[in-house]
Amino acid sequence: MVNNFCLILSKVSVVFIGIVITVPIICGFLGFFLPSFNYLPILGKGELNLDYFYISMNIPGIYKSILLSIFTGLVSTVLALFFSQVILLYFFKTKIYNYLKIFISPLIALPHVTMAIGLIFLLSPSGLFLRSVSPWLTGFDRPPNTYIFPDEYGFLLILGLMLKEIPFLVLVSLSALREFSSTKFFDLGKSFQHSSFSTWCILIFPIIYKKIRLVVFIIIAFSSSVVDMSLLLAPSTPSTLSVRILQIFQSSDMDSFFIASNLSLIQLFIIIISLIVWIFFERIIKLKFFYIFFLKITSFKLEFLKITILCCSIILFLLSFFGIICSILWGFSENWYFPNFFPNDLNIDNFLIFYYQNKSLILISIFIPFMVSLLSMSLTILWVELLDYLKITKTQFEWIIFIPLFIPQISFLIGIQSFIIFFNYNSFLIPLVFVQLFYVIPYCFIILAPALREVRSDYIKVASSLGKNRLDRLFNIKIPLVLPSLLTSFAIGMIVSFSLYVPVYFIGAGRVTTLTVEALNLAISGSKQDVGIATFFQILLPILLLFTIALINKKAIKWQI
Amino acid sequence: MYFKLADNLSKIVLRCFIIIIFFIISPYTNATEKKNEWDIRAKKVSGQTIFFHAWGGAKNINSYIKWASDEVKKKYNITVKHVKVTDTANVVARILSEKNVKKDNNGAVDLVWINGENFSVMKKNNMLLSENWILDLPNSKYLDFENNPSLLNDFGVATEGMEMPWGVSQLNFYYDSKYINSPPRSASELKDYILRNKGRFTFPQPPDFTGTSFLKQILIELTDDKSLLKSEYVIHKHKDALSSLWKWLDETTPYLWREGKNYPPNYLALTELVAEREIDIGMAFNIAHASNAISEGKLPNTVRSYIHKNGTLANVHFLAIPYNSGKKTAAKIFVNFLISPEAQLKKQDKNFWGDPSVISVEKLDNNWKNEFSILPRGVATLSNDELTKKLEEPHPSWVKIIEQGWIERYGSNN
Repeated sequence: MVNNFCLILSKVSVVFIGIVITVPIICGFLGFFLPSFNYLPILGKGELNLDYFYISMNIPGIYKSILLSIFTGLVSTVLALFFSQVILLYFFKTKIYNYLKIFISPLIALPHVTMAIGLIFLLSPSGLFLRSVSPWLTGFDRPPNTYIFPDEYGFLLILGLMLKEIPFLVLVSLSALREFSSTKFFDLGKSFQHSSFSTWCILIFPIIYKKIRLVVFIIIAFSSSVVDMSLLLAPSTPSTLSVRILQIFQSSDMDSFFIASNLSLIQLFIIIISLIVWIFFERIIKLKFFYIFFLKITSFKLEFLKITILCCSIILFLLSFFGIICSILWGFSENWYFPNFFPNDLNIDNFLIFYYQNKSLILISIFIPFMVSLLSMSLTILWVELLDYLKITKTQFEWIIFIPLFIPQISFLIGIQSFIIFFNYNSFLIPLVFVQLFYVIPYCFIILAPALREVRSDYIKVASSLGKNRLDRLFNIKIPLVLPSLLTSFAIGMIVSFSLYVPVYFIGAGRVTTLTVEALNLAISGSKQDVGIATFFQILLPILLLFTIALINKKAIKWQI
Repeated sequence: MYFKLADNLSKIVLRCFIIIIFFIISPYTNATEKKNEWDIRAKKVSGQTIFFHAWGGAKNINSYIKWASDEVKKKYNITVKHVKVTDTANVVARILSEKNVKKDNNGAVDLVWINGENFSVMKKNNMLLSENWILDLPNSKYLDFENNPSLLNDFGVATEGMEMPWGVSQLNFYYDSKYINSPPRSASELKDYILRNKGRFTFPQPPDFTGTSFLKQILIELTDDKSLLKSEYVIHKHKDALSSLWKWLDETTPYLWREGKNYPPNYLALTELVAEREIDIGMAFNIAHASNAISEGKLPNTVRSYIHKNGTLANVHFLAIPYNSGKKTAAKIFVNFLISPEAQLKKQDKNFWGDPSVISVEKLDNNWKNEFSILPRGVATLSNDELTKKLEEPHPSWVKIIEQGWIERYGSNN
């Protein structure tokens, strides 16, 4: 009887979780899909037509925005993929290789906004780079009138995106490398007298790529629709499509909502087009002709090329590093005018004022990620356990949770927004946590679910033969066994949530803000000192988090042994 | 349970008592009546929370609003939450969508900082508390509505008491006197300056408020028949009126900062550019902006302000209550505090905000008069005599036309 009840209850729960996850995704999609065809009965529009496509296409400069989005998205992904592989290749089988993850984790933990701010502080005409060579080399006693950084074509945006994506790609490639006997493959290639580079290209990269293909797709989708970085790094006449959507959405007349929805749909098309282009090139590269071409071209031991690529990688790393240092320095500076390389005065007054005025902001910026990450972790565990209990082994349908990562954030949130108005809901924190779940669960799930499912069934059998029930088994055996994955997924969840901009902007609606949103606002309209301080906290919090997690992990592992 | 009943009963008795006393006293003095009535209303809404949607880009303004919120919390136990918006059009859009879904009470916005085009949209769509509420507030007696018609006109649109004046602003420019002797003081002088100093002038990218205002300023200066701009924009009548502005911009745009292909997002970004000497001239609507920036260490203390020879755009900024606010009384109490001599004095203080007060000093008692007269003016703030030449805002309908025209010509095809 009790067993029967449990069975029904868990069946109901599975269906319930399924509904809670899928319905908002569908709503978010329909919320911008229908209005873009002029359909939203609640606002008195009930007639499907293509009027708004016509209006959208006649917005001045919209084609340039579209091209800019596609261009920056694809180019940044290609370059990031290339450099991530070069970095791995260079460090493969060296001592540093084992520590690469530690170097790279802090860079992954930084929000996009932080990286963008660092780049501006470094490369703008009044930035640290030009200061370091002025006036002794350039003769500039005031910032030159240039239009190189930022530039017309979005290269600065590409650079910013690359700096964030390279560490991420390196990390996922690292875990992919661990899944097969990569050193053996490498040695095999070398024994055929191939150079390391060609060995990597022909033997190892294809295997890695197969494993990280989904991640690459997610990166393409993300970077061709990024909002926060575009606001800071993209050219402004016109900007990328995502920024144009935001601007049009902010306008006060009702039509602009429909135009923004329509453009959101176009933004989705852009992602689809980018992916098609990408897959098309995948096909071409797979051809035998290219295989031979690669074999030939890469087998030359081009020392010069190697050094250039290596230098580029080092420059990229230094850019992120100095960008961060420079932001922090601005936070504590006073009277720092061009061309001084170092501030005239350093003090912590600005810092203290910012801290006292923004205590609650900092707290909420920690609280929201904590809640979101905790919830997504619990949901993942619950889901895996329920499926296990119900003996459902076909889990193909779980790909649904990745959909939010492929729909442009701005489109999805415009869609969700129209439903939130509809529900007449007056709280802001709860919807925000709920919406953030859709961006955090995929990451938690992809780390945690395989770990939970791979726990050896012997342990479970032994435990159940000792009379331990399911809950005991979960908490005393499974969770301790997967603790490292659990902590990683928790940390990643918090980091992802911490750096989200668009959901907080739309759902928080100004009533709930986080450091990421505030840092961007300051970067647009604030003093450089305040931007520096906000950036400082944005760097400090994730790194503290990583540190804590690493510490707990170490203790836990000791305890296990 | 009995305790609760007794508690409620005692509250009711107390309230009756207050009301009875109020009725006894009320016939005697008119002024105290208004004040007492006000106090009673204030007591009723004690403990409420209102959401004040106001542009939140400037630190000094945010600190001022924080101070005012703390004061009303102390005085009336009303909590004011400042919702920092990036563009007031957002707030208008939000209220509009609430109106469309018929959310006619307990809307998200209780009070909004507004003027110009946004007000005109809200008024046209009946999105504001439409009764003439501003004169009900006791502190409205300090405002000289009779002799100062600009307090009842927002960009030429009659406010009809739907919004309370909060402050006065005038477009002003600033430059570093260490490097520039005499800045350009008219649209044509400015053009010459831009052509001679390539890359050293820019303005915030329209549709930013200050950026659009700068375009309006140039348009007014280039237009001979100023009455043209006072009427609502009609395409077949006014199309040519803008050609002088476009010609001015055609000539200057290639010589702007970053060749006119990139613009700073708002007036605060201009401050940073002036400080770094990327550009020579900055602009702001707050007449104390340069002084504020100097005292915050954001600009060198050799920076000075100026306005154009024939005057610059001046306008009043207001506070309005949306029609669907659930806490109108609490919002009114906060507004009443914001126009009190105490709050306006603090607002005019260059160390806080530096925004000129809307109340007439003649209407104050000697104590306050004195306080206002000894208020220091910043080194870079122009005196009242220097600010007498003011230009009136064009009709709000011109804003969209100018913005769209600019975006089409210069903002979308680099």
